[in-house]
Amino acid sequence: MSQQQDYILEMHNISKSFPGVKALDNVTLKVRPGTVHALMGENGAGKSTLMKCLFGMYKKDEGEILLKGEKVHFTSAKDALESGVSMIHQELSNVPDRFVMENLWLGREPMHRMGPLQLVDHKKMFNDTVELMKNLEMDIHPKSKMSEISISSQQGCEIAKAVSYNASVVVMDEPTSSLTEKEVEHLFKIINNLRDQGVAIIYISHKMSEIFEISDEISVMRDGQLVASKPASELDDDKLINLMVGRDMTHRFPPVDFNIGEETVLKVDQLTAANPRSFKDISFELKKGEILGIGGLVGAQRTELVEAIFGMRGVASGMIEVHGKHVNISSPREAIRHGIGLITEDRRGTGIFPLLSILDNTSIPSLDDYKKKSHLLNHKKIESDSVQVNKQLRTKTPTYKTPIQNLSGGNQQKVIVARWLMTSPDILIMDEPTRGIDVGAKYEIYLIMTELIKQGKSIIMVSSEMPELLGMASRVMVLCNGKKTGILSREEASQESIMRLAAQFS
Amino acid sequence: MDNTKTAGSNIPVKIKNFLSTHTSLVTFIAMLIFLGIITNGNALKLGSLQNLVVAEAVRAFGALGVGMIIITRGIDLSLGQVIGLSACVSASFAQTADYGSALYAGQEFAIWLPVIAGIAVGAAFGLFNGVLVAYGNLPPFIATLGSMSIATGLKLIYTRASTLGSLKNEYKIISQGFMGPIPYLLIYVVIAAIVIWVLMNHTKQGKSIYAIGGNAQAAKVSGINVKAQLMRVYLYAGILYGMAGVLMSARLGLANPLTGNNMELDAIAAVTVGGISHAGGVGTVGGMMIGLMTLGLINFGMTFLGVNSYYQLLVKGGIIILAVYMDMRKHARKE
Repeated sequence: MSQQQDYILEMHNISKSFPGVKALDNVTLKVRPGTVHALMGENGAGKSTLMKCLFGMYKKDEGEILLKGEKVHFTSAKDALESGVSMIHQELSNVPDRFVMENLWLGREPMHRMGPLQLVDHKKMFNDTVELMKNLEMDIHPKSKMSEISISSQQGCEIAKAVSYNASVVVMDEPTSSLTEKEVEHLFKIINNLRDQGVAIIYISHKMSEIFEISDEISVMRDGQLVASKPASELDDDKLINLMVGRDMTHRFPPVDFNIGEETVLKVDQLTAANPRSFKDISFELKKGEILGIGGLVGAQRTELVEAIFGMRGVASGMIEVHGKHVNISSPREAIRHGIGLITEDRRGTGIFPLLSILDNTSIPSLDDYKKKSHLLNHKKIESDSVQVNKQLRTKTPTYKTPIQNLSGGNQQKVIVARWLMTSPDILIMDEPTRGIDVGAKYEIYLIMTELIKQGKSIIMVSSEMPELLGMASRVMVLCNGKKTGILSREEASQESIMRLAAQFS
Repeated sequence: MDNTKTAGSNIPVKIKNFLSTHTSLVTFIAMLIFLGIITNGNALKLGSLQNLVVAEAVRAFGALGVGMIIITRGIDLSLGQVIGLSACVSASFAQTADYGSALYAGQEFAIWLPVIAGIAVGAAFGLFNGVLVAYGNLPPFIATLGSMSIATGLKLIYTRASTLGSLKNEYKIISQGFMGPIPYLLIYVVIAAIVIWVLMNHTKQGKSIYAIGGNAQAAKVSGINVKAQLMRVYLYAGILYGMAGVLMSARLGLANPLTGNNMELDAIAAVTVGGISHAGGVGTVGGMMIGLMTLGLINFGMTFLGVNSYYQLLVKGGIIILAVYMDMRKHARKE
């Protein structure tokens, strides 16, 4: 029993399944008070799922959660917060145009009576905020607008909010992903302060140097299991990487026959994003018939890079050449004209037209090719071509007039692939091409990719799934924090070598 | 998709599907029959139906314009005032030269001038709205609220707040003429509806308009020039309003500062009843026309039955709210 009292939060034997995947498999995580407990693992290892089970956003299938030795069952983040368990998300959720103090006490504003009315007590709100900030040694004025203070200060406010609820456990999900080095220092000061007050911090991050700087204990997750929980002093970079990736590859990929040509179809030179927090000085070449993988961890700016190449995001400097010719791409229209296609990462947000038919969804970027002399569209040809491409890709749909929203994720993705094949691009950029689709559909997408390179097309594939990069790419370019940290050949690429490059900068 | 269903139970399912996809058509026919029965067929006589068509024709042009805009997830509040302004401008060039209080008394204009001028006014406002929405990134509601006020002001200034009457007969015939039993106005409406139908269903532009309304981000990624297309939709709508203004002044034989008031309400209500979703990307030209006729029939029926026009407003308001409520239930996107 005395052993158990050492822990403030215990998650015992947590399991959680989604259709087709076991996201969490008998995970046990124990956290001591007054420590920073790092939680690491590849994208999709189950860290977020575990936390969502803690906060009741997902219903766990099995297992129990003890807080200070007592069994708890939270139904929402608010419920957890009231019991002293707080989560600070990667994406901050504050009201930008309101004061810091209004954000802190939102929904539980101190009130006072004025005649028959209950009014907000702004004075008390102000004083309470000042005191809270003083305790945490933070220098944030209660009447600053949330949007006007730095992101690390905004995180500080979230932490202050947690403290104001007397939080005993604070979970931080990738808190430094959008911070500058100086801001990280500031955040770490706040975290250390919190630890000294006896708060337990679960710190989720990909950045190894940070982890070793801040954490007392480290737990590593892989494929839904907790593979190790050790004091930070017993681990180093190499051991950690091994723990994170140590798994065998199965036959999830079709054999790829690369027949890479001499011709450079795309050359990117010193490309730098207009947004200073995004990627910088990226250079690479794409050869005919190759699949260039782009790897990296969350926040590495991979999506930002490919979207910039496709003209969706601003570029500050650098050059792009297509087939040896310098091109200026400032909109997707121009990118398409230069024979580039992009399957975006966010299928719902920037991919499908939910209510439109499979036919419309397939043909929309290539309608120019179907104009008759009268400028009217040749519907017959659109239909026969769209159906043909979708049949090739084995899209399963009741009819081709069905709205795309009625299809499964995998079939929606096939329609999007069909859409771009209709434009017959030379270069197809696929951003997380198999995200959110089941294993069978994944294999079919891989097959389509091998078909495409056989036809002499070139593919850039952004992927967060390490096996996918190793299984499909001829070369892997790794980004970390917006910088290129290396390009690995198919022979050099391994889970270890990619992870090393992906976590290089902190 | 349930294959276990027996063939027998498929028939009600089919009827149900038909009802849910053709709600507005079914409602329209049901109302037509209902009106026919309670008036012993009097309401459905040729003369009455001609009146109905003539009354709705001008509104049809407005509905086609705003219908396209709503498909892009926009809205146009300036419709009524732009039609009114265009009616006043066209009327001012169509007054008989010997009419003493004509705006341009003593001046004789060619018969095409009022037509062109009216359409030009509509086009100018459409372009203005389109630029504000597409390139100025103003919310359509606010942009067109502003231009609505501008159009109202210009209308009062231009007419000096008085009625422009005594229009030439050869001008009035544009709207008042008949080809056999068929009013010219009906012919114009049918032509306009066909043109817009072809535009929306058989051209790249039409497909782009649906795509923009369905998911503007995805449309951009698909290489559609979203801004240019949006601007064109507002421009086309403006041209349609201009035509509506011309037809209106010719039909009434006059135009005054009240012309066009509240028409935006009727047109937006009509297309909403016709199944044009305010969630964007959904709706057909046929739906717009059916919605228009349904609303027209309600007005016409109530008038025919002698319902006080004040009460008609209540009924109209209720129908609009009900139609949007049904639409939102059907198409509301899950967060």
